[in-house]
Amino acid sequence: MDLVTVNGLSKRFGGIVALSEAAFSARAGEVHALLGENGAGKSTFIQILSGAVKHDGGSILVDGQDYRPANPDDAQARGIAAVFQELSLIPDLSVEQNIWFRHEPQTMLGTVNRTQTRRNTLALLEKYDFPTLRPEQELRRLTLAERQIVEIAKGLAKNPRILILDEATSALPAREAEWLLKLTRQLAAEGRLVIFISHRMAEVRAIADRLTIFRNGSTVAAHEANTVSDDEIVTRMIGRHLDRLYPERVPTMTQRIALKVANLTSGSRLSGVDFSLREGEVLGVGGLQGHGQRELFQALFGATKAGGMIELWGKPAAIGNPRQALTGKDGIALVPEDRRGQGLLLTKSVRENLTLSVIRRFTENGLLSRQKEAALVKEMVDFLRIRAGTPEQLAGTLSGGNQQKVIFGKMLLTEARVLLLYDPTRGVDVGTKGEIFQLMRDLAAKGYAILFHSSDMPELVHVADRVLVMRNGRIAAALEGEHISEEGILRAAMLETRAA
Amino acid sequence: MVMSAEQTVERAQMPAQAKDTRPGIDWRGRALDRAPFLVACLMLALIVAIYGSLQSGVLSLDELNLDTAAAMTLMLAATGQTIVLLRGGIDLSIGGMISLGTVFAATRFTDDPSTTAFWALAILGLGFLIGALNGLLISLLKLQPFLVTLATWSILNGVAMIILPTDGGSVPGWWVGFASAQLLGLTSPVWMLLALLLFWWWFRATRAGITIQASGSNEKSAFLSGVSITRVNIVTYGLSGLFAAGAALFLITQTGAGSPTIGKDYILPSVAAAVIGGVSLFGGRGHLAGTLIGAFVLTLIGNLVFVLHVSSYWQPVASGVILLLSVLASSVAEKAARSRVQ
Repeated sequence: MDLVTVNGLSKRFGGIVALSEAAFSARAGEVHALLGENGAGKSTFIQILSGAVKHDGGSILVDGQDYRPANPDDAQARGIAAVFQELSLIPDLSVEQNIWFRHEPQTMLGTVNRTQTRRNTLALLEKYDFPTLRPEQELRRLTLAERQIVEIAKGLAKNPRILILDEATSALPAREAEWLLKLTRQLAAEGRLVIFISHRMAEVRAIADRLTIFRNGSTVAAHEANTVSDDEIVTRMIGRHLDRLYPERVPTMTQRIALKVANLTSGSRLSGVDFSLREGEVLGVGGLQGHGQRELFQALFGATKAGGMIELWGKPAAIGNPRQALTGKDGIALVPEDRRGQGLLLTKSVRENLTLSVIRRFTENGLLSRQKEAALVKEMVDFLRIRAGTPEQLAGTLSGGNQQKVIFGKMLLTEARVLLLYDPTRGVDVGTKGEIFQLMRDLAAKGYAILFHSSDMPELVHVADRVLVMRNGRIAAALEGEHISEEGILRAAMLETRAA
Repeated sequence: MVMSAEQTVERAQMPAQAKDTRPGIDWRGRALDRAPFLVACLMLALIVAIYGSLQSGVLSLDELNLDTAAAMTLMLAATGQTIVLLRGGIDLSIGGMISLGTVFAATRFTDDPSTTAFWALAILGLGFLIGALNGLLISLLKLQPFLVTLATWSILNGVAMIILPTDGGSVPGWWVGFASAQLLGLTSPVWMLLALLLFWWWFRATRAGITIQASGSNEKSAFLSGVSITRVNIVTYGLSGLFAAGAALFLITQTGAGSPTIGKDYILPSVAAAVIGGVSLFGGRGHLAGTLIGAFVLTLIGNLVFVLHVSSYWQPVASGVILLLSVLASSVAEKAARSRVQ
């Protein structure tokens, strides 16, 4: 009999459907992989299982009995523990305090029994052959990889019947990742169910008995692991949907190199990125979330410190901060991902938002020329088809799509001709999306050079001239022409064995 | 090429790994962690040294008894505040609770010990309840602790004014005498000081203490670990109210009367004492020992200003400078500690 059976599970967050009709079933003693793109609903699913979030509809049976945990404690009482990708550790407690948090052995005085805690910690670490950890060390002194290992120990400390590992290997170096895979098999052999989430196909292949694939909040397939090919899995994960959202892609790029990046490095997130972007080109940046895309954009805009070389229009550029990035016709402008937080002053008018950072352009003898300003604002509003009553309308009252256009306008007015667009269509309605894509192609035709990241893969496929796929802080592949496809991107982002 | 990308990332992580798993005690790290507390100790030593050079008999039991009595109200209030700060909150309502406590005591206490004992317990209970209410409001309304406790401070203050519009009332002599009662040459405030430290040693080792600290260190992580944040808030602010009520009961031994306005003098100093003692305003870090030293520092500055024969208006100036210095010391230590982790 199945240990866990889920049927018709649904969950909404506000207006967003995170899960609908999700189904899942798994047996004790197996490693069950859960696969899907970012946003497919995996995280919501495990949050529900682990009691962090309550589901709206559908049923979960554990051991044939209804399961509806009120909180993580409830889930633990039923034998379910999760090792979160978003770690549940406390920075100011020690390693062992974290492992046993809220389950500490106590003394007669109600205090934590330290010797017993230490003994239990060492026993646990030894039983599962953990990489070396110092039990007394404060968590905030640990590396990310070590924290992930502590999180795993914390999950195991509850002696769960069902252990959920949410991308637990992604933060681990190879040796520790290998250890975790071995541990996973060991736990299954002990009769536990391990629900294993990973974007690394090779790992899934190595340890999963069965797998379930999510797409857009629903279950699209469940298989014995050895009966499906990698190809099938990827196809299932991305599904198929095409429409006429995208403008025709007319190549407009010249031979002139607008932006050249060599060996760009920043911490462990960017390790030696090389590429060049040409005049008139829309260059896509893809890959799974968190593989350095954000850091790349921030480094190019001067918002994060990075080593390496950046050349703009053939001249070396020193970009220490966003102000330097924006300077003059040879500058770089960014459309940030969080437009409400970073890009736009919601309580200021459309006009003020457009001209704030370029106010120098409208001054004559130190005085603001209202006429000059008004002319440029009108030009921009018309060009971008910003739907505002007047230029004096407050930016906060515009729709998401129009807000995004204001940010585009703000960026265009800086005269920078290298544009960084980080997820510019997030939270934008479909109609405006189309307009934004058209705008991107128009700007490319005018000689702008555009670096474009989107969390929505089809956008990259249909808008970009080339696509760089990032993995582990590097360019894993540069796709061109017919090689640009969702499958191609996902393959380069996920499959380890494909050497370029 | 793809494989080499993978390996580079691994190599980048390995040295850090090797460094942190090396056995032995990280003395420098520990010293940096305790830097704010050490700075507070240094300040206290400095103040005592200056004070001692201007006045004879500073390093005596008598002086200890006197200064502890002078500092005890603040110490009690700051103990509650420390728990709240550890949780990552702040409690301004203790000002109102202290006023209300003294007012209740001065109007209800009689020469009959059992009546007085009843009211003393009632005031403590009230303190806990009002604090618990703060915690409940913060959780249920999802409001800033600053705003909620500012509001309850105002309400409690008003109620105290309604009960006793001006300073007055009376406190039985035996209650006042409690503050100068001696055992083994030490007065009761010194014993209370020791009791506070003992309480803290116990409290910080209990699950409740660890849970409060954890919730202040990272609320989301604590929640994901199964902590009920509402319950944590109720207990945290409840304890703060309880200690504020205790502060009121001690305060009347010093003043011998109730005052509807006196509590406000303890709100910011209670925060200052904790911060001087190295308690983080962002939660998760700090110890009561630091707070108590901070309370001594703030109290002794008053003595120092007195023996220097300068205007007493210099006291808040000096307090402010010391607060700035200790915040600076903490932030320097914090930066040094953080750069070591990177």
